[in-house]
Amino acid sequence: MNLTFFFQNVVNALQWGSFYALIALGYSMVYSILMLFNFAHGDIFMVGTYIGFVLTTGLVALSAAGIVVLPNWLILVLTIVLAMLFTSCLGMLVERIGYRPLRGAPRASAAITGLMIGIILQTTVLSIMGAQRVLYPSLIPTTAYTVGGVSVTNIKIMIVFVSIALMIALHQFVQHSKWGMAMRAMAYDYAVVPLMGISINAIAALTFAIGSALAAVAGIMYGMAYPILDPSMGILFGWKSFVAAILGGRGSIMGACIAGFLIGFIEIFVATIFPSTLRDLIAYSIILFILVFRPHGLFGEPYSARLRL
Amino acid sequence: MPLLEVSNMSHNFGGLRAVNEYNLAIEPGQIVGLIGPNGAGKTTVFNLITGIYRPTEGRIVFNGQDVTGHAPNRIASLGLARTFQEMRLWRHMTVLEHVKMACYSKFTYGLAGAFLQTPKRIREEAEVEELAFASLKMFGVEQFASHWPTDLPYGAARRVEMARAAVTKPKLLFLDEPTVGMTPEEMLAMIEVVRKMHETLKPAVFLIEHRLKVVSELCHRVQTLVFGQVIAEGTPEEIQNNPKVIEAYLGEEKVVA
Amino acid sequence: MHQTTSTASHPRGSLELVRRFFANVPLLAWFCGALVAVILERAVGLSMAQSLGMPRIPVLFGFLVFLKQPALIPGALGYVLLMNILPICITAKIGAPVFNLVSRILYKMPLVVTALVHLAVLYAVFHFWADVNAYRMIMLKMMLISILLTLSLNVINGYMGEFSCSHPGFMALGAYAASLFTVGLFVNDQLFGPAMMTSDYAVVFFPLGLFFTGLVSALGALVIAIPSFKTRGDYLAIISLAFTFIIKSVLENLEFLGGPRGLSGQPDWSSLPMVFIIVVFGVWVINNFVTSTMGKALNAVRDDEIAAEAMTVDTRKTKIIAFMFAAFWAGVAGGLFAHVLRFVNPSTFGIQKLAEVLAMVYFGGLNSVYGSIVGAVSISLLGEALRPLEILKWIIIPLLLILVMIFRPRGLISFKEFNIHNLLKPRG
Repeated sequence: MNLTFFFQNVVNALQWGSFYALIALGYSMVYSILMLFNFAHGDIFMVGTYIGFVLTTGLVALSAAGIVVLPNWLILVLTIVLAMLFTSCLGMLVERIGYRPLRGAPRASAAITGLMIGIILQTTVLSIMGAQRVLYPSLIPTTAYTVGGVSVTNIKIMIVFVSIALMIALHQFVQHSKWGMAMRAMAYDYAVVPLMGISINAIAALTFAIGSALAAVAGIMYGMAYPILDPSMGILFGWKSFVAAILGGRGSIMGACIAGFLIGFIEIFVATIFPSTLRDLIAYSIILFILVFRPHGLFGEPYSARLRL
Repeated sequence: MPLLEVSNMSHNFGGLRAVNEYNLAIEPGQIVGLIGPNGAGKTTVFNLITGIYRPTEGRIVFNGQDVTGHAPNRIASLGLARTFQEMRLWRHMTVLEHVKMACYSKFTYGLAGAFLQTPKRIREEAEVEELAFASLKMFGVEQFASHWPTDLPYGAARRVEMARAAVTKPKLLFLDEPTVGMTPEEMLAMIEVVRKMHETLKPAVFLIEHRLKVVSELCHRVQTLVFGQVIAEGTPEEIQNNPKVIEAYLGEEKVVA
Repeated sequence: MHQTTSTASHPRGSLELVRRFFANVPLLAWFCGALVAVILERAVGLSMAQSLGMPRIPVLFGFLVFLKQPALIPGALGYVLLMNILPICITAKIGAPVFNLVSRILYKMPLVVTALVHLAVLYAVFHFWADVNAYRMIMLKMMLISILLTLSLNVINGYMGEFSCSHPGFMALGAYAASLFTVGLFVNDQLFGPAMMTSDYAVVFFPLGLFFTGLVSALGALVIAIPSFKTRGDYLAIISLAFTFIIKSVLENLEFLGGPRGLSGQPDWSSLPMVFIIVVFGVWVINNFVTSTMGKALNAVRDDEIAAEAMTVDTRKTKIIAFMFAAFWAGVAGGLFAHVLRFVNPSTFGIQKLAEVLAMVYFGGLNSVYGSIVGAVSISLLGEALRPLEILKWIIIPLLLILVMIFRPRGLISFKEFNIHNLLKPRG
C-alpha cells in the first residue's frame, strides 16, 4: 500500500468516523446523565436524516416552483437548523414517553423500551416513505481537489470540519455553561442536582435534545455524502455508534468521539485490505478483543461489582 | 496452634496505608473483638482476611493452611463465615434460600443433580433445608422463611444474616458490627443471640464493634485499631482502662452507648 | 415485588365472578375440555364454518378473519364461541367433579405419572389442533421453540441479571451445526454429496444430533462466559452483541455453509412430537436447574456478588455454567428451528431476532418459568394474529411492550417459581 493510497483512506475514514462519532455522542451523553443507553438513538438519527430529506426536497421544490426562491446554501442552512429543531423535539418526546416513566425501573427495562421505540420509529418512517430507497437531493455541487494524489471533496472537508466544530462546541458547553455544569454534576451524582435548584427532568430533556440535534446534523451530512437513504440505516449506524460509545468508556464524551473515529478507521481500512464481506467480522473481532482486555473501555472507569444493568 | 493466624499483614489503597503490620491469633472457640474509631480500617481487616482484598504484604494461615490471596469462596468453604456491616442480603431470594445458599459448597450432586431430579439431589436439598430451618430457628427467625429480605424488620434481617453465616457450623465466624443502628434493647437481645449461638455451635468469633458494652459482655480478648495500626490488645477490662484507647476514643460518643 | 401475586387475586367484578365460577376446575379438566373442542372441530369444524358463511375453518381463533375480512366477523365470532369457548368451558365445568376425582387419584401417584398424563392430553390437543392445516402446524412448532429460546435467555438475563445479546448467535450456531449434521450425513445434497447414513432412525439420531448441537453452542458461550468474570452490565452486553455479529459474519463468509444464501434441504425431522418432547424436556431441565441451590447461586451472583462469594459460592463456575447451559438450549432451539423451516441463512440471526427474543423475555417476566412461557406464547400469537395489519403490527407490538415496561418493569409474571404441585392438584 503506497502512501497516497494510505492518506486517501485516512481522509475517507475521517469522514466515515465523523458519523459514528456524532451519533456516539448522543449515546454517551444520555448514558453519563441517566445511566441508560438510549437504544432508539440510531433510529433518531435515521428520522433526522429523513426530516432533512423532506425539508430539503420541500424547499428545493418551493424554489423551483418560484414560490419562495432561496439560494442553495440558505436551503442547506435552513434544513440543518430546522432538522436539528424537529429532531430535538423528537428526542425530548422519546425521553418524556419512553424513559421518564421508567426512571426507577431496572435499566434493562429501559433498554427494552428504547429498542421498541426504535422499531416504532423505523416502522413509521417505513410506512410514510415506503420501503424503496430515496435519493437525497444534492444542494452543493461536489468539487474534488487533489492534494498530492489524494482526492478530497468539498463535502468531505465540510463534514469533518463541522463534526469537529460541533464536538468542540459541545465540550465547551459541557465544561463552561451553567447547564453543562449541571449535566456534569448529574453525571457525578444523580441526587445532587435537585439541590442545586435544577430539575432532573429539564437536564434529561436537554441532554436528549442535544444528542438528537447532533444526530440530525450527522444524518444530513450523511445524506449529502451518500445520497441514498433507507429506513434500516438507523440500525446499521446506531449499533456501531453504540459500540463506539461503550468502547470509548461509559459516558466519556472525548472517548465516544475518539472511539467513533477509531471504528471508522477500522472499517475503512479493513474494507481496503480484505474483501468487504469480512468488514463486520474483523471490526467486531477487534472490538471484542479490546473489550476483553480493557473491560471498561478506553476512557471509562474500572468495573465495580455494584454496577448492575 | 491457633485457628487463625495473621502475621504482618499490610494493605495499601493507592498511596494510602489502610492496614499496617497487622497481627492476630484466634484460638478455637475464642471470641475476639476489634474496636476502633470510624475509618480505622476494621472492615478492611475483615475483607483482607476473608479474601475480598488481597493483602499487599503478610501471611494469613487459617486452620493450618496458608490462604493468603485465595478467592473468598475458597476461604469461606474452609469454615470461615462472615456477616457484613451493610447486611448484604440478596434482594430477590427468600430467607430460606439465603440460608440454603450458604451451604453451596456442601452440595455434591454436581451437574447431573442440578439438571435432573436425581435421588441424590432430592436427598441433599432436603437435608440442607432441614439444616437451614434449624439455623433460622436458632436465631428466632424461622417464621420469615418464605419472606423476601425487603419485607423483614431491621432486627430480623440482621438475624437472618447471622443464620446464613452460622448454618454451615463454621469454625470461625466474622461479625461486622452486628448491633449497628439498634436501640439499647435490641442490642441486649442481640448480645443474647450471639451468646446462645456461641454456646451451641462453639465457633471462634471475630467481632467488629463500636459499642464497648457489647465487647465487654462477649469478648475474651479485644484489639484496638487506629489508623490501620493495633494500638492495644488485652482483656476487655484492660482495654477500657488503657490510656491510649481512651485517647483514641476522645470525641467518639458512641463508645459509651 | 409481591405485587406480582396480589393483582391476580384482586376482586374485579365480573372477572372475579368468572374466576370463582371456575375455581373448582382442575387443570386436567381444562386440558380435556380443549381436547373435546379440537376433536369437535375436526369432526364438524368445516361444515360449521361453512354454515356460518366462511370458506374454511378460521386458522387462529378468528383473529386473522377479524382483520382481513370484517364482513365475516360475526361468523368467526360465532365459530370461536361454538367450537372453542363453549366446548372447553362446558366440558371443564360439567366434568369438573369427574376430573377432580381423576386428579385426586393421579395426585396420589408419583408426580411423574400425573405430569405425564397431563402432558399426554396436552399433546393430543396440540396434535388435533395443528392437524387442521400446515399453517397451524408451523406456527405451533415455532411457538414451542420460542418457549425454549425465551426460557434459556431468561436464565442469563433474568436469573443471572446480565443483559446478554448473544442468543441469536447461539441459535445460529445450533441451527448450522444441526443442519450440518443432518444435511451432511443423511441427505443427498449438492454441497456435501450423497447421504452417508439412512434416515430410518431419525427418531434416535435427531435428538442425539441436537445434543451435540447444543454442546457446540455451549462451547461458543465460553467467548462470553470468560470475559464475564471481570466485567458485567454494559460491557458484557457489548461483548455478547459483538459475538452475535461475529457469528453472523462468519457464517456469511463460509462458502461451504452456503455463505449469505444459507443452507437448505434439511430433512423434515422437527415433527410435532419431536418438538413437543424436546421442548418439554428442556423446560423441565431448566426448571430443575433454576430451583436447585446450584441454580439459585445465579440469583445470589446477580443480587450481590460479594455476599455470594463470602457464602462459598463459586462465582466463576456459576457464570460459566449459566452461560453454557443457556447457550446449550438456545442451540437446541436453533437446531429445531432450522428443521422446521428446513432452511437457514445468516440474516435470520440478527438484530431482529434479538429484539424478538428480548421482547418475549421482558414481556413475560424476568426470573420466572411461567413468565417465559407466557411471554413466548403471547408474543408469538400476537405476531401471527396481527399479521394482516402488515407493517402496523410493528407499531402495535412495540407499543404494548412499552406499556408493559412502564407499568410492570420486570414483566408480567416475574419472580414467580414454577409450582408443579400447585398446578396439577385437584381443586375440590
